[in-house]
Amino acid sequence: MTTTVTPASPAAATLPRQRGPVAQFWYRLRRKKLAMISLVVIAVIYGGGITAPVVAPYTYNEQNLENALQPMSSEHWFGTDRLGRDMFSRTLYSARTTLVVSVAVLVSGSLIIGNGLGLLAGYRGGWVDNAVMRVGEVLSALPGLPMLILVNAALGPRVLEFVQWAQQGTPLAGVARDFASYMTVFMALSLFFWVGTARLIRSQVLQLRERDFVTAARALGGSTSHILWKHLLPNIAFLVVLQISGTLGGVAGSEIALTWFGVGVQPPTPSFGAMIYEGSGARNFQTHPHLLLVPGLTVSALLFAFVLLGDAINDVIRDR
Amino acid sequence: MTGYVIRRLAILPFTLFVVSFFTFAIARFGPGDPITVTAGQIRDREVLARIRAERGLDGTIAEQYIRWVGRAVQGDLGESYIQRGYSVRELIVPKMMVSAQLNILAIFFVFAIGVPMGLIAAWFNGKWLDPFIISALLFFSAIPVLVVIPPLQWLLAVQFKILPVGGWDGLIDIVWIAGVIAIPVPDPHLYLPLLVMTIPGFAGVARLVRITALQVASEDYVRTARAKGLKESTVALRHVLPNSLLPLITVIGLSLADILSGAYFTETLLGIPGIGSFTFESVRSRDYDVILATTLIVAFFFIVMNLITDLAYARIDPRVRLGARIDS
Amino acid sequence: MSGQKRIFAILLGVLATLVLIVGGLSTVLLLSGGAQGGDGGSSTGGSPRRVDSSPAGGRLRLPGTDPITLDPAVAGDAGSADFIVEIFSGLMTISPKLEIVPDLAESYQVSDDGKVYTFKIRENAVFHDGRAVEATDVKCSIERAAARETASPTAPVYLNDIVGALDKMNGRAQEIRGIEVVDRKTVKFTIDAPKPYFLAKLTYTTAMVVDCKQAQANPRNWTRNPNATGPYKLSEWRVGERMVLVANPRFYLGSPKVQQVLYQFSGGSTLTRFENNELDVAGISINDIDKVRDQNNPLSKLYVTGSDFSISYIAFNTTLPPFDDMNVRRAFGMALDRRKITDVTFNRMLSAATGITPPQIPGFTATDKSLKFDPEGARRALAASKYAGKMPAVTMTEIGGGAEAGLDTQAYLESWRTVLGVTVQVKQSDAASFFADLDGQKLQMFNAAWIMDYPDPEDILDLKFHSKSTLNDIAYSNPQVDALLERARVERDPVARLKMYQDVEKLIVDDAAWLPLYFSQNHSVVNSSVKGWFQRPMVIPRLRFLSVER
Repeated sequence: MTTTVTPASPAAATLPRQRGPVAQFWYRLRRKKLAMISLVVIAVIYGGGITAPVVAPYTYNEQNLENALQPMSSEHWFGTDRLGRDMFSRTLYSARTTLVVSVAVLVSGSLIIGNGLGLLAGYRGGWVDNAVMRVGEVLSALPGLPMLILVNAALGPRVLEFVQWAQQGTPLAGVARDFASYMTVFMALSLFFWVGTARLIRSQVLQLRERDFVTAARALGGSTSHILWKHLLPNIAFLVVLQISGTLGGVAGSEIALTWFGVGVQPPTPSFGAMIYEGSGARNFQTHPHLLLVPGLTVSALLFAFVLLGDAINDVIRDR
Repeated sequence: MTGYVIRRLAILPFTLFVVSFFTFAIARFGPGDPITVTAGQIRDREVLARIRAERGLDGTIAEQYIRWVGRAVQGDLGESYIQRGYSVRELIVPKMMVSAQLNILAIFFVFAIGVPMGLIAAWFNGKWLDPFIISALLFFSAIPVLVVIPPLQWLLAVQFKILPVGGWDGLIDIVWIAGVIAIPVPDPHLYLPLLVMTIPGFAGVARLVRITALQVASEDYVRTARAKGLKESTVALRHVLPNSLLPLITVIGLSLADILSGAYFTETLLGIPGIGSFTFESVRSRDYDVILATTLIVAFFFIVMNLITDLAYARIDPRVRLGARIDS
Repeated sequence: MSGQKRIFAILLGVLATLVLIVGGLSTVLLLSGGAQGGDGGSSTGGSPRRVDSSPAGGRLRLPGTDPITLDPAVAGDAGSADFIVEIFSGLMTISPKLEIVPDLAESYQVSDDGKVYTFKIRENAVFHDGRAVEATDVKCSIERAAARETASPTAPVYLNDIVGALDKMNGRAQEIRGIEVVDRKTVKFTIDAPKPYFLAKLTYTTAMVVDCKQAQANPRNWTRNPNATGPYKLSEWRVGERMVLVANPRFYLGSPKVQQVLYQFSGGSTLTRFENNELDVAGISINDIDKVRDQNNPLSKLYVTGSDFSISYIAFNTTLPPFDDMNVRRAFGMALDRRKITDVTFNRMLSAATGITPPQIPGFTATDKSLKFDPEGARRALAASKYAGKMPAVTMTEIGGGAEAGLDTQAYLESWRTVLGVTVQVKQSDAASFFADLDGQKLQMFNAAWIMDYPDPEDILDLKFHSKSTLNDIAYSNPQVDALLERARVERDPVARLKMYQDVEKLIVDDAAWLPLYFSQNHSVVNSSVKGWFQRPMVIPRLRFLSVER
């Protein structure tokens, strides 16, 4: 944007100009209370996931049938489930699962592919645009969730078989199997997650490329990549950042949905989807509300933190 | 423009072809088929093979696909492998109707309430009310339906008993007053699903409206228009409104495109006989032709709605040249 | 800045109209709906518009799920049979006391060699449309079930004893020569050996009578409006929503008392709907069981429970390592404290299995024949096996409808890990994948259940454990078991025969081919206005014994 919308904050004047854009960005973001709270929430949940093996008081699978369905207590902070497993430990390990899948989808390309193709399609137009949009159209025309489930139900066992075959006798056994359990989930997610991003970016570029400053740059003989990088990308940066928080949240949500349905992360790997499934049902909620509330509130907090963070980042970038 | 529409429509059959093949192949690639599901615990391999042949599930995937295409182009979407004797069409259509009714209502409320919310937030930009509205709405949008439905059911149906716990009984109920006056009221089964389907939607719409309205209002041409001394109402209606609508149109178009695809978890958890819960069932039982037909119909509708969205887009923002190459 | 605000103000004004319309309308609608909801449970309940047409003889509202098919010849699942046994009927049936009694048949005679059965059809037996049921209808119905075009998965199991049935199924014969029409109302069956359980098999839906003309005229859709002989007629079926059955006034044992039965297929938690008076019967889930057991809760007065002819078990494929070694199988069995796991994870809603044949099946004994919980013994058995110290990877497969492995499964896994030090992976698959792998005998070990189709131990022991049986999915083969099973097939002394099955059961449990886990029980609440209700261990006709008094 060429102009600011909100009144320039008084802090803007004292902004240390000599710092790089990242420092500036961070400086501004730090001033947003909600963003900081969100970051803390995300850090706590993801941090809990990363450090789960150290922090968790029990392992995720440690059963104690005498102690089933205990409410919250000093011994079991979040209570225990039907098998007497510590809900707090299971929550931590589920956060770990969410973290692994989210980051994997992000890295495995939904962002890179989505943004890259969106930019390219919008800017180049013509057959590139056509090709990208047609592929995207096919993918997005498919009903998302059932397709994800179908892909997982169909490919999951095949991938698992393949992994089991490939690891016969190798020391990787356990690791590879867990990995396989995540792999189909994020492969399937990546396949569908880039389209929305690409389309949004493209429609913005479609507008922007008609703007004066791009026309001017082109008239001055700027190369495609130059124009993309220098003129278009900064202008859609807020969308990209928005998409990162959106994607992270979306992936976390989808993983839960898939696992709830039974085709996502396979047991005994703990996951929020599985925990929520166990706590489902109005009757179940009436008798043992903590089964649903513990994973439900954690997930909601995570997703909420992501959208708030996304919003704040968006504001910061636009204020530039 | 006409040329563009014709070209897009010409691609449609091709897209549908790719969609159908993809779905067909994926569904059959996985282990298991509908015959194994329906056979129950009595399962003789030879018998199952014979039933497969009888029901057209023998041969390679390619052969089966060619047979399917042959029937599909004549408008025959096949027969359910699970619900014997029922054509796919008669199973799907009533369920799509249920889902469509729910979806249209939900979309209506999402926009009718979400858009003003966004404008109010934009109005109070810089005050506490702006972030408050947006974050409150965002909070509701962040809770997954899987988490929110059980407590709602418990509260409204079990504890206070004011709503049925789930199910579906059409849109309208007639209440008779003194046996003479008939008053149509919404069916009580509607409230819970609508609640769950609308509230999370507000945030997205409100946030989008807020951002674009703020953005558009500070654009050069708006300022120029205002500087020219045009009336504020003219500026608002002629310049701000159409331009703020631009991104909104995509969102409306995309939500309308999903009308036929059902709210999967809401329908499943609330026991609503819509296409969403039915799709889950079909995927689970590998009812190939049902999955395929649902996918194709949803895809067709989606593509057409997308095209309409694009056209509306071009109509409102003349700067968008559809299909034209920029550097030619 | 103020200019900007004015712009928004105007936009808001434009939209305010919309909001007013929408808000006003929806408020009015919500209020009127809320008021209606507040009127009391009855108006919210079910479908108010249709309640007032309640028929004189009473109306029963039941929960349910769609049957897969209403064609008795192809139905292979209890869910479909549930409806079929009320709409159709056959020569023989099973009474509420679980006796095998004549149904369409008035009487029957068995020849001295036990191979020829002669049935006399009731004089007053008619189809729903009034046409009399004749011997030719019986013959034609069973031949239709066995015909190739029908593609019945059940016919090869239930009809194979009849002489010539296999030829018909293989397409080598036009008719089944073992079924003879003696006269208009008499039909004679010849079977290949004196099998005492033949009558029990005839009670299954595969042998029920259909209107062949109707089925031939419209092979795809005749079950939408089947002309049959049972106590109820199909009146309406909206897939995924509801089914309505109405009493058949011409039923040969007298018109049923309940005039209309409404099955509701959608709507969520059945107990909540029961409490809201939308249903007359509701199943009890594990979340509600404590509530109905509580003597102070009014629901406890309506609570009924009974056992099912069903057993859950863990099966080992006896040809795949490590379960080709009996010691490993026994170790796995002894490592489980089944009683405790069952009690905790299912909140005492099931009973730990004492053997393979479920309670109420002839030959059942209450003494526990299964492997005792014995961690020391389990470790010893494992140490004695040829896989001691070099245990291959073990995966247990089960059908998973949801995200988590069954709670009991997770408890078993944990027991094996702690007691034996063996980490068993669990693989959840949907029914389609599971059965595909099961049929391929690819599953190393799996968690499954068997539901008895008729009350005879042959239905489980012979079908699942005879080495030649097509349903023996674990490749179990024990010559001693085979020999006993074959003798029991033709043993005509009931006591001696049951003794053989008990011996077989003992052999199988000791071989640890299966680890019997638990026998299912059903738990329901039934409205006090429903009279004559009984919990049944298997699908048998029930509706015609009921009445509703409101």
